[in-house]
Amino acid sequence: MSLLIKHNERLRKFKNKGKDPTALRRQRVEVIVELRKAKKDEQILKRRNIEQNKMEMERSLSTGEGERNELSLEEIVQGVNGSDTELQLQATQATRRLLSRRKDPPINEIIKLGIIPRLVEFLTRADSAPLQFEAAWALTNIAAGTSDHTKAVVEGGALPAFISLLSSPHMHISEQSVWALGNIAGDGPLYRDALINCNAIPPLLALVSPATPVWFLRNITWTLSNFCRHKNPYPPLDAVQKILPAFICLLEHEDKEIISDSCWATSFLTDGSNDRIQVVVDTGILPRLVELMASPELIVLTPALRTIGNVVTGTNEQTQAAIDAGVLAVLPHLLQHAKPAIQKEAAWVLSNIAAGPCWQIQQLITCGLLPPLVELLDKGNFSAQKEAVWAVANLTTGGSVEQIVELVQSGVLKPLLNLLLAKDSKIILVILDTISNLFLAAEVLGETERLCLLVEKLDGLEKLEALQIHDNKMVCQVALNIIEKYFSGEVCELLLSLTWQ
Amino acid sequence: MELSDANLQTLTEYLKKTLDPDPAIRRPAEKFLESVEGNQNYPLLLLTLLEKSQENVIKVCASVTFKNYIKRNWRIVEDEPNKICESDRIAIKANIVPLMLSSPEQIQKQLSDAISIIGREDFPQKWPDLLTEMVNRFQSGDFYVINGVLRTAHSLFKRYRHEFKSNELWTEIKLVLDGFALPLTNLFKATIELCSTHANDASALKVLFSSLILIAKLFYSLNFQDLPEFFEDNMETWMTNFHSLLTLDNKLLQTDDEEEAGLLELLKSQICDNAALYAQKYDEEFQPYLPRFVTAIWNLLVTTGQEVKYDLLVSNAIQFLASVCERPHYKHLFEDQNTLTSICEKVIVPNMEFRAADEEAFEDNSEEYIRRDLEGSDIDTRRRAACDLVRGLCRFFEGPVTGIFSGYVNSMLQEYAKNPSVNWKHKDAAIYLVTSLASKAQTQKHGITQANELVNLTEFFVNHIQPDLKSASVNEFPVLKADGIKYIMIFRNQVPKEQLLVSIPLLINHLQAESIVVHTYAAHALERLFTMRGTNNTTLITAAEMAPFVEVLLTNLFKALTLPGSSENEYIMKAIMRSFSLLQETIIPYIPSVITQLTQKLLAVSKNPSKPHFNHYMFESICLSIRITCKANPDAVGSFEEALFMVFTEILQNDVQEFIPYVFQVMSLLLEMHKNEIPSSYMALFPHLLQPVLWERTGNIPPLVRLLQAYLERGANTIASAAADKIPGLLGVFQKLIASKANDHQGFYLLNSIIEHMPPESVDQYRKQIFILLFQRLQNSKTTKFIKSFLVFINLYCIKYGALALQEIFDGIQPKMFGMVLDKIIIPEIQKVSGQVEKKICAVGITKILTECPAMMDTEYTKLWTPLLQALIGLFELPEDDTIPDEEHFIDIEDTPGYQTAFSQLAFAGKKEHDPVGQMVNNPRIHLAQSLHKLSTACPGRVPSMLSTSLNAEALQYLQGYLQAASVTLL
Repeated sequence: MSLLIKHNERLRKFKNKGKDPTALRRQRVEVIVELRKAKKDEQILKRRNIEQNKMEMERSLSTGEGERNELSLEEIVQGVNGSDTELQLQATQATRRLLSRRKDPPINEIIKLGIIPRLVEFLTRADSAPLQFEAAWALTNIAAGTSDHTKAVVEGGALPAFISLLSSPHMHISEQSVWALGNIAGDGPLYRDALINCNAIPPLLALVSPATPVWFLRNITWTLSNFCRHKNPYPPLDAVQKILPAFICLLEHEDKEIISDSCWATSFLTDGSNDRIQVVVDTGILPRLVELMASPELIVLTPALRTIGNVVTGTNEQTQAAIDAGVLAVLPHLLQHAKPAIQKEAAWVLSNIAAGPCWQIQQLITCGLLPPLVELLDKGNFSAQKEAVWAVANLTTGGSVEQIVELVQSGVLKPLLNLLLAKDSKIILVILDTISNLFLAAEVLGETERLCLLVEKLDGLEKLEALQIHDNKMVCQVALNIIEKYFSGEVCELLLSLTWQ
Repeated sequence: MELSDANLQTLTEYLKKTLDPDPAIRRPAEKFLESVEGNQNYPLLLLTLLEKSQENVIKVCASVTFKNYIKRNWRIVEDEPNKICESDRIAIKANIVPLMLSSPEQIQKQLSDAISIIGREDFPQKWPDLLTEMVNRFQSGDFYVINGVLRTAHSLFKRYRHEFKSNELWTEIKLVLDGFALPLTNLFKATIELCSTHANDASALKVLFSSLILIAKLFYSLNFQDLPEFFEDNMETWMTNFHSLLTLDNKLLQTDDEEEAGLLELLKSQICDNAALYAQKYDEEFQPYLPRFVTAIWNLLVTTGQEVKYDLLVSNAIQFLASVCERPHYKHLFEDQNTLTSICEKVIVPNMEFRAADEEAFEDNSEEYIRRDLEGSDIDTRRRAACDLVRGLCRFFEGPVTGIFSGYVNSMLQEYAKNPSVNWKHKDAAIYLVTSLASKAQTQKHGITQANELVNLTEFFVNHIQPDLKSASVNEFPVLKADGIKYIMIFRNQVPKEQLLVSIPLLINHLQAESIVVHTYAAHALERLFTMRGTNNTTLITAAEMAPFVEVLLTNLFKALTLPGSSENEYIMKAIMRSFSLLQETIIPYIPSVITQLTQKLLAVSKNPSKPHFNHYMFESICLSIRITCKANPDAVGSFEEALFMVFTEILQNDVQEFIPYVFQVMSLLLEMHKNEIPSSYMALFPHLLQPVLWERTGNIPPLVRLLQAYLERGANTIASAAADKIPGLLGVFQKLIASKANDHQGFYLLNSIIEHMPPESVDQYRKQIFILLFQRLQNSKTTKFIKSFLVFINLYCIKYGALALQEIFDGIQPKMFGMVLDKIIIPEIQKVSGQVEKKICAVGITKILTECPAMMDTEYTKLWTPLLQALIGLFELPEDDTIPDEEHFIDIEDTPGYQTAFSQLAFAGKKEHDPVGQMVNNPRIHLAQSLHKLSTACPGRVPSMLSTSLNAEALQYLQGYLQAASVTLL
């Protein structure tokens, strides 16, 4: 078998690599098991009501409540179970105060008192708005705990009571109920769907109006976003369809927290299969989300970026929709954002766009993404560098020879080779595959020799040689293959010229 | 096998015998043990012995046997029987941890290895209580036990450092973290406290420090994949303690040994690794601690001595600084000019010095020295680490750093100049600095150096390198000579060509140096220079430029092979090969002497082949001598045969396995040089080549097939007339090869040569049998590779014997078979054929079927005519179909034709590509058009009507293009 044929075979493999582009796209969470702490910049799942708002402060001051001694747990039980409304209120308030403590609220202890059913009962006491309010608050804070805590509230029968309180004539009670429902829906798909089945969405949506005060609207938005959260299973499609129009409006609001939670909602809705992504794309909201990616507010930018990132994990058409919405114009800035987490996420977005067909890669190049990508590969922190490596790898897999040349001319080689020292076998392997792709392109152009020289000059050969004794067998093998194929002397090439002489 | 005293006694006897130096006693005992190891209780008997035997040697022997038994048998391989019965498995897992912990160290180590082998398979699912069992021992307070546990944990968890991220792996790590991280942290704190309470007790400290080392290693493994929540929350504890351990010193822990690293050094190097891991991967979280570590490690470096025992620590510590200094946000820690200067002075320069240990290696262990220096296996050396640090610093501070170092280079050169014989090491350090630090990324043309370079490379070369190499004595200051030669190698692309030409005679001269390193480097440098590319795809240095040196070059190269220590020096042999290939016909006058020396060498090394690279280049050199000489004078082939056949016969007779594939290749080359009938000497060998034993070794198959192909090409008629009785043997080889998925393509190579070259009547009687064999294989295991080769073969057959013969032979096996082959194989699979020549053969063959096979026009086969034509046009125009069915993905890459790494292929014995239809058909598209035209004149009207009814439009368009190009029309 002559070398010439081998060469042609390689060339052919290169041209019709036919790798399935969807296989290159990576969902954000490849590995479901996490070793790390939960992300600090993610949206909050459940919240306790601890900050006393102004109205509450004033009220407590006027009743002199601040100076009063706290009730003991026994007194609470007595008060709650008694029939005197005033004592019930005092006991409920005391419970609420304990649960609103900044540090270590005694949720378990309160649950053990067995007073939840009573508190739920108080929710229906239209005769005493303060009692309704205090009970709602206390239950909100219990539901804000662990899953078991939330379960205790739900099993105490709170769902229908809270849903009917949404329509309470007292805005602060209605608001507290919204909050409680947010905590319950945030617990997981089970209670989320239970609430949807109890028809909680229409009264919630009814609360959204131009007249709703901002602080109230914030709570509603957050609660609605929890109705969109969680996979396995996803929220029912018809519920999503009902909520989405509200978010489209809310995204135009001027309050950054409302925008932020609306973006989180769209990020949840797009974090999944392509048909889920399509539902969001169809609303035409992508241009607004891309606009929000340029927001100076981290709490807005993060979920907007996440949503668009999810969208580009979808089909070529969905990715194109994000490109048409202008994502490529925003990404260069995000790749250089001051916060490493944003750089990383932006690089992840880019890596998925680079996994697309040639014409999308071309748009990426035209929009000037290569220089900031190379910069990030060079100077970013490790997690951002990893994403950048994926972007480069995908580009060399699906890009045309000309595009690969452009990538090399942007100076990708030096930082890429430097990362062969990374302490991460997978990334090393991805880089080695990328190097192989570069060589395949160089072969097509007859530039193998030059690429070899370049790799050697950038101390890449040294690093490849060192990898031959790496502990990961696959890494060793691939490094060895590259060295044998391209750096083991020029015997083969000389032979070729010899037979042609 | 019962757990009885009698059995224990028997086992003891046999174990004892396995230690016997006499193989006659040892081997049967080993065989016996292997024969009984499948019995139930066997491993438990071993465990009993290693615990209770009276004799220590039996204990140790039992533990080693046990570990090997576990290694061989524990893994349950799919589709193979379980080799250890379930109750034994349970018993082993229940007992092995306590047993390991209570055993003396020698046995503990074996059992610990066994545990990690078992753990690799069973942990965590099938060994859920292992972790708790280990953690519980932490409370024992017995550090002998604790260290046993830690060691085992280390061998279980260290794979987290290199395995790919996966859900399975991370689930395991999470489980380990949940059960292990807190107890480990507590143990860490407790151990550190004990260290201060026992600060004056040397033996206690040793045990405690061994624990700390293992704990630090476990920390590295557990933190490798990602930063676990637990360790993020407890970073303060770990990092504060790591930091104080880095700064700790205790006289009691210092060792006198200069070579072996002590506990303190090992612990500190591991801490450097841990800090580097955090700095590289968990930058954000580690930031608050980093400056402290930089300071501590910096101090450590400044205060650590030059002894070999500190090498690992120093290189790890420098690597830490190197990885930190190039991160943008730590830049400020280094930017102060004083800091930079003192890093250069106190860290980098001292660690670049040529030490006594290096000098020893240079003289006494040259091979290792060369490997480290030339092939980059110097990863953990101080010099390498120091270089990496400089590169890291240059990222932000190139100007100042280069400034500092060029000052250094100058002052060291001045020191040298004052008293060369005493201060030669200063010059070595200067050259080392330049070779490792000067940027290699500058423009090649004219050797222009950039403004802020360390030195001007060409000036440095002329002023400081050449003088050493020009000195009269090649044996003076060998280290500096080696440095100088290495300089040429490294900067060969930067130094202008005229300077390289000046260097060539100097290098040739140094082939005579006594120092192995020096003459090896000289050979290597020449080899590198000869492979440099010039313009127009030629070599930079031409044969004409080398003309004045040919004789001395060849003489010195071969003489160098006689220098002590270099009789099988692969660098020299490679330089010989490269010189031949560069010098081409200018070496012809020297060939008689050269070939004598090469055959003598061949004879000598064939007694005991030990250097594969040397041998390979030697055979390449032989091939080159043959090619170059015979190209000018084909008749010279006889004199090569005369010179080589004696040695070859000896190699074949003595069955020197390493060399046989080479011999076949050289013989193929020689045989192909013959223009006339095959010489009788080859024919005498022919029967031997068909011996089955030769074909048993996979490495022989490709070169033997190649050799038989050469026989068929040159001597088919002779074989048919004088050795017709050997034809069945030849077909036997084909039959054997075709049966194997790995070698079937080789079988087809052979078959194709038979079909192409043998006179038809000589194989007539076998033809049907050949097809039946192929069909059997097709039915039993059909692979893409087989189909591709099969398609090429039947089309070649069609070209050689005619389309009618092809149809008849198929239909003779079974009626209508030809149609089936067309319909089920040729039409659907033809798109998979790869290779230009292969495709051409198929195109011409199919054209013949279309236009010269009457059955295609007049029988039920007619319906296949247009689909076949369509498939042929597809073969011409569509991209190749390289899809491979899923189940074939796992066939080794070596199994695909064309990929021949498995055997030692000689590049210079290379075979020219052979095109069996080359003369007959130049352009297969035109040939198709002409053949169709011929067919249409024979039966007017038929062809156009078949085309218009069922050929698809696109194909029709292509076809019209062919017809136009051939200037024919269809009637």
